[in-house]
Amino acid sequence: MKATDTVLAELRKSATLPATAVAAGIAVLGCAGIALLNAVHVRDAPAAGRADLVGYTAPAEAVFSAAPLGAVGAVVLGVTAVSSEYAINSPGAGGGRQVLATLTAIPRRPELLVAKALVVALLVAATAAVALPVSLAIVHAVAGPVAADGLLARSVGAGIYWMLTALMAMAVTVFARGGVLPLIVLITNSSLVSVSVLLAKVTPLAFWLPDLAGMRLFAGDLVVGADRALDAPTGGLVMAAWTAALLAAAAAVLVRRDA
Amino acid sequence: MGGAVAAELVKIWTLPAAAATALGTALAAALLTGVVAASADGIDAVAAVLAVVPPLQVGPVLLGVLIVASEYSGTQARTTLTAVPDRTVALVGKTTAFLVAVTATSAASCAAGLVVARVVAGGTASPSPVAGAAAHLALIGLLAFALALLLRALVPALVGALGTLLVVPPMLASVTEHARWLPDRAGSALYLPDSAAVLAPGVGLLVLVGWITVVGGAAAWAFLLRDA
Amino acid sequence: MLTIDGLTKRRGGRAVLSEVTFRARPGRVTGFLGPNGAGKSSTLRVLLGLDRADAGTALVDGRRYRDLVAPLRTVGSMLDGAGAHRSRTARNHLAWVARSNAIPRRRVDEVLAQVGLADAARTRVGRFSLGMGQRLGLAAALLGDPPVLVLDEPTNGLDPAGIRWIRGLLRARADAGATVLLSSHLMGEVAEIADDLVVIAGGRVVATGPVDEVTAGYRTLEDAFFGLTGGGR
Repeated sequence: MKATDTVLAELRKSATLPATAVAAGIAVLGCAGIALLNAVHVRDAPAAGRADLVGYTAPAEAVFSAAPLGAVGAVVLGVTAVSSEYAINSPGAGGGRQVLATLTAIPRRPELLVAKALVVALLVAATAAVALPVSLAIVHAVAGPVAADGLLARSVGAGIYWMLTALMAMAVTVFARGGVLPLIVLITNSSLVSVSVLLAKVTPLAFWLPDLAGMRLFAGDLVVGADRALDAPTGGLVMAAWTAALLAAAAAVLVRRDA
Repeated sequence: MGGAVAAELVKIWTLPAAAATALGTALAAALLTGVVAASADGIDAVAAVLAVVPPLQVGPVLLGVLIVASEYSGTQARTTLTAVPDRTVALVGKTTAFLVAVTATSAASCAAGLVVARVVAGGTASPSPVAGAAAHLALIGLLAFALALLLRALVPALVGALGTLLVVPPMLASVTEHARWLPDRAGSALYLPDSAAVLAPGVGLLVLVGWITVVGGAAAWAFLLRDA
Repeated sequence: MLTIDGLTKRRGGRAVLSEVTFRARPGRVTGFLGPNGAGKSSTLRVLLGLDRADAGTALVDGRRYRDLVAPLRTVGSMLDGAGAHRSRTARNHLAWVARSNAIPRRRVDEVLAQVGLADAARTRVGRFSLGMGQRLGLAAALLGDPPVLVLDEPTNGLDPAGIRWIRGLLRARADAGATVLLSSHLMGEVAEIADDLVVIAGGRVVATGPVDEVTAGYRTLEDAFFGLTGGGR
C-alpha cells in the first residue's frame, strides 16, 4: 500500500461527502454574493453622495471583505472531513462509526492524518481558485477596474488563510472527535466580532493569535487595529506555525488514542 | 401539556451538553465583560455588558441547536413522539421548555456580566438596556431553535445560524444600511441606546419576531406534517 | 494465523482483558464465545490496531496489524455494523475503502453482488436497515479477498437466509485455507459452524480447543458455555 493510495482514498472520501460540496458552495456563492453586494454599494455610494455610509470605496476591498465567508466554508470542510469519521450511522442501519473502517483500512495513523490534511488543503485551494477570481470578475464588472496593486499577493494570501484555517479546524476536530466545538470556536472567530478582536483591544499579544495574524495576508487595513498588527509575511508565518503545532498535537493524540 | 413541558425540561436539564452550554455562557459573559471593563478607560458597566452581546449570541444559539439535534442524532425523536403522540402538544411543550431554559441562561449571563462590570469599572447608568440585551439573546436562541427544528441536523443548523448572526452582518453593515433588517441587527435595537443605523426598539423587536415567525412557522409546519 | 498472547487492558482502573491468550488457525473457523461485556470486542479492537493493550501482543501471521502493508488484503474485518458515514452511498463507501488499499475498483461491484446489495449500491447508508448495514460491513471485509476474516457478531440483524448464506461463506473460506475468527454470544450459531472454540468471561479466557474437547462432559454447547462462564444460574 503506497501513500498515494491513502491520499486518493481520502480524496474520494471527501469528494463523496455532501458536506464538502456544501462547504465549497458556501465559499464560492457566499464570496460572490457578498462581493456583488459590496460592489454595488461601492459603485453607488459616492454617486449618491453618501460615501460616509460605506467603510471603503476601493473595488479591491469589495472582494476581500467577503473573505470571512470563504473561511467559514474552509472551516466546514476541515471539520466535516474529520467529524464525519466519528458521526454515528443511523441506528436502523446498525449504528457504528466510519472511523473503524478507516483505521482498519489505513492503520498507520500519522500517514492517515497527513493524507487527510493534504486532501483538505487541496480542496480548499481548488475552492479558492474558483471563489476569488469569480468575486474579482463580479466586482470588476460592477464597480469598475480593480487596482492590480498587490492584488495577486492578497488573493494568494486569502487562499492560504482559508487553507490554514481549514487545517486548524481539522486538527481541533481530531481532539474533539466531533464537529460542534470546532465549528463554534472557528466560525465565531472568523467573524469580525470575534473574541480575538475583543482581546486585541486589551493586549497587543492578541495579534499573535492565528486568526488576527493570518488575516494580515489579505485584509490590508480592514483588520482592526491594523497599525499595531503584525506585517503580512510575519502574520502568515505565525498562523502557519499555529497550524503546524495543532496538527502535530493532533497526530500525537490520534496515534495514542483508542479508536 | 404540563407533563410535556415538564418532561422536556427534564430532558434539557439532563443533557450534559445543554447544561454545560448554559453554564459556559454565563461564565463567558462574566469573563468577557470583565476584560472589556478593565481594558477600556472610563467605560460604564452597562456599556461593557452591551459590548460583549454579539459574541455571547453563540450561547443561546448552541443551546437551541443542541436541544433539537440531540433528538435527531439517535432515535430519541421516536421515543419523544411515541410518548407524546400529539405533535402539537409535543412542539408546544418543547418550545416552552426551551424558552424557559434560554431565558434563564440569557438573564443569568447578562446579570453575571453586569455584576462583574460593576465591580471592575463601576458606573451608575441605568441597567435597563441590559434587560433588553437578555431579551435579544433569548430571541436569538429561539431563532436558532426553530432553524434546527427545520433542518433536523446539528452541523447545518449551527453553520447557518452562526453564519447569519455573526459572520454576515458585520460584512454587510460596512456597505449597506439594509443590514439593519438582519435578525441580530434588528434585535440589537432592544439594547443599543441610540444608533441611527439601527431601527427603533419597537420596530427592531417586530423585525426579529418576524424572522422567528417565518423560520419557526416553517419548522412547525414541517414538524407537524413530516414523518418522524 | 492469529496469535493473541497475554493481552491485558485496563480501562478506568477496571481490568477489561486479563492475560488473554489464544490462537486462530488457518483452515479452521474459530468461535469466540462469551457473554456481553466479556471482552470479545475489546480483544478484536486490539487485534485490529484500533485500541492499545497495556500488555501482550496480538499478531496476524506474526506481524502487528498496524505494520501490515495493505491490511485489507490480509485481514477482512467487521466490527459494529457497516462503519460507513450515513450520507454516503454504499458504492461510494466501498470505493474509498478499496482505494486506500489499492484494491481494484471492480471488486466493489463484485462484493456488492456477493452480499446481495447490488440493488442498493446507490442508496445512502443512513437509509439502510440493520441487515443491509451488516451486509455492507461484510462486503467491506471481503473487498480485499483476504486470507483472514475477523467478524464481530456478523449475523446480527440478518434474516434466516442471510445467516445460512454467511455460514456457507465462512465454511467455504475456511475449507479453502482461510483463518476465520468469529465472535458471538449466540450458541446455536457458533455450534453450527465452529471447529475451534475460545470461551472468554470477565476478560479471561476460560477454555480453548476443538469444539468436542471444550464441550466434553457437557450435554450441549450451551451447557458447556454456562458451565464455563459461570452464568445462567
